[in-house]
Amino acid sequence: MSVLYEMVKNLLARPFTILYPREKVPIPAAFRGRVVINDDTCIGCSKCSLVCSVQCISMADSPKEIEFKGKKVQRKKKPRLNLFRCIRCGLCERHCPTGAIHLKNELSESGTDRETVVT
Amino acid sequence: MANVIVPIGPHHPALKEPVNFRIVADGERIVRLELDLSYNHRGIEKAAEQRDFIRVLPLLERVCGICSHSHSTVFVKGIEEIMELEIPPRARFIRTIIAELERMHSHLLWLGVAAHEVGFNTLFMWTWRDREAVQDTLEEMSGNRVHYGMNEVGGIRRDLTPSEVNAALARLPHLEERIREYAKMVNDQETLLIRFKGVGKLSRDEALAYGAVGPTARASGVDYDIRRDDPYLAYTEVPWNVVTDTSGDVYGRTRVRIGELQESIRIVRYCLENLPEGPVRVNAPKTAPMGEILSRYEAPRGELAHFIRTNGTDKVERVDIRTPTLANWTSVALCLVNQNLADIPVIVAAIDPCLSCTSRITVVNSKKRTTGIVTFDELRKQSHLRASMQERR
Amino acid sequence: MTDPLLTILYILVFPGFVFLLIYSLFIEFLDRRVTARMQNRVGPPFFQPCADVVKMLGKEVIDPDGVDRRIFDAAPLIALAAVMTAFLCIPVGGNSIIRFQGDLILVLYLLLIPTIVLFLLGWLSRNVFSAIGGIRAVTQLFIYEVPFFLVMLAPALMAGTWSVSEIAHWQQENAWFLLLQPIGFVVALVCLQAKLERTPFDIPEAETEIVAGPWTELTGRRLALMHLAKYASLVTGSALIAALYLGGPMTPWVILPVWLGWAAGFFLFLVKTLAILLVLSSIKVATGRIRIDQLNAIGWKYIAGAALVQVALVLVMNFWQVGI
Repeated sequence: MSVLYEMVKNLLARPFTILYPREKVPIPAAFRGRVVINDDTCIGCSKCSLVCSVQCISMADSPKEIEFKGKKVQRKKKPRLNLFRCIRCGLCERHCPTGAIHLKNELSESGTDRETVVT
Repeated sequence: MANVIVPIGPHHPALKEPVNFRIVADGERIVRLELDLSYNHRGIEKAAEQRDFIRVLPLLERVCGICSHSHSTVFVKGIEEIMELEIPPRARFIRTIIAELERMHSHLLWLGVAAHEVGFNTLFMWTWRDREAVQDTLEEMSGNRVHYGMNEVGGIRRDLTPSEVNAALARLPHLEERIREYAKMVNDQETLLIRFKGVGKLSRDEALAYGAVGPTARASGVDYDIRRDDPYLAYTEVPWNVVTDTSGDVYGRTRVRIGELQESIRIVRYCLENLPEGPVRVNAPKTAPMGEILSRYEAPRGELAHFIRTNGTDKVERVDIRTPTLANWTSVALCLVNQNLADIPVIVAAIDPCLSCTSRITVVNSKKRTTGIVTFDELRKQSHLRASMQERR
Repeated sequence: MTDPLLTILYILVFPGFVFLLIYSLFIEFLDRRVTARMQNRVGPPFFQPCADVVKMLGKEVIDPDGVDRRIFDAAPLIALAAVMTAFLCIPVGGNSIIRFQGDLILVLYLLLIPTIVLFLLGWLSRNVFSAIGGIRAVTQLFIYEVPFFLVMLAPALMAGTWSVSEIAHWQQENAWFLLLQPIGFVVALVCLQAKLERTPFDIPEAETEIVAGPWTELTGRRLALMHLAKYASLVTGSALIAALYLGGPMTPWVILPVWLGWAAGFFLFLVKTLAILLVLSSIKVATGRIRIDQLNAIGWKYIAGAALVQVALVLVMNFWQVGI
């Protein structure tokens, strides 16, 4: 009898489905989505590359002067991500000393422009 | 009619993962079951030997999607015990919260799948709708709906903010009410009762003799739960009960799992309300001393055991994973004999099989066109050879 | 006898084949939508069944090794043709196109054919799953067909005629058979659910046990035709029960002018068949599948028993009326 009552109640109520993309759900702040590398804080220590569990981060040449803990540091390399292999585990974010690499709570979008897709 | 071999799998709508059942049937009655479990073998145990303790955790998490936190926690708990590391109480409580939330989402999933196997798709839709509340809570706390990545050696990775705690607490009353509804439905619905009662009976002696674990064994009256008998995390500090049943059939297992759902909600609520303050991790050493440990954990499907051997480096020398589903397969082969062909999906689904966890190697002989497993005598011969080689070194 | 050209128009367009196909697709949409809403989902849009049939017609036809291609091509056509012919005997608005004493028996016979075709397909697809499904389909046929025939017989006994249209007409002057024979109505609905192989009686097609049973090896246009035959028999079965128990397209009193009476009757026919569909969908949503041996126990004990009781009651009432 509880099944019948629930069936009739559901028939007259609104469905539970969220009609994406017309309606959207707020994505929690902790969600591990797009990988974003901050060019102004990365010091090129390669820790993310060593810790990455699928070895998808390689270091590319990118000289820049960065302010780190009050001193000026000459950065030599910057991380490059192979998005085909990244599993969004977040180990790079956890072990980065400056917080330069960060997984934003955005769903990675598709696009025709290299900048929207590749970090 | 002569004996017919009905192939269930590797591709079959009843199965969520590939497994090869060759059922030898006489009309609608099952005579024998031949099992081949190797379709999801990925070589994870070997791959884990080449990764240090930071990088091995995402790998071990991905042994299974539904019980990912179980694998990660049991490994980390074993390593911490070898290192003689004591994690802060807040970390222990948060690990317990995630563990019980995982148990809830797994049991709600199971309830839907069991209803689907008997064609009762309505209950499947409803339970999976309510499971979304648990998944939303897990996503807010850890960042992902499966493969939470919360564990690291020495504690957990991120802390819970007060708003996350309150949001989780706010979802619990509705879930509790829905689970009470499902408990009522399982007791009243005629078609569920006639499909589940008396099907796949496993007596207490058979369960003990064939090594059944988890809700499968507890439904046959075996009163054993690792959380109480070999405690870990925060289970000694939280008031909770072990749920058992005496019927031993699929209906009994349903009642045990619904009971465990209700207990899990109580544990989560207690832990969220009494979360101790403090840090969430301690600094862990990079390498582990030499040692061997058998670390056990009550996964949603039963007793999960990791045997870990370390050798003083920053990697494990050997990790051997014995999942609960592997222990329960022999009881399936036993329950299926003399049952109806129509009951195969129900009995298989009743142990809550997770084949990604279970897969073992199969040896393929392409000349003779046979597949088979390595027998126990061959294993002993291999281990004797290895031991004698190591002595000579 | 009306103009033969007009008869051909009635058979082909309305209330014949084209109307039957359009109504089947509409009923399939309603069935899926109501089921989905009861399960708290959204459900498909109204053109979904039409899109499904068009898609299936365009897919590749796969012949398994060693299977007789000609029978596989012909069988779904025969099933669809049988159901469409049966529909011609059932009154949709006013009287039916084919009308003679005994057309009730013709309808019941023609509605058997899709199940026999399923068994044939199951046997001939050289496939364990299809064979088991075909055997289950025929076992189920034996179990529900006896009560179904009996409760279709009961209104004919009371009305004293063997023609579906005349039984519907009889109810216009007397009461509906729903009120006179309620047990028969309940048994008829349950047996219709079993005939259409819907939950809790979808045993031959049990998806989680035997893949798709006899439907496993049907692909492309064969699957499209068999799918249409399934929903056309849903329409035909509902229309038959509406005509025999709910008065069909007959209005409670005679309405003049004739065309208005005919339109009101057609509208009532639609309402009654949709009401029967609602009941059948609710049964489908509220239950799970039972086993064939459990159906055997329930069918021969309760369903056949109830049908026999109903027929006995009708015979007693007839005897009593004749006696007085």
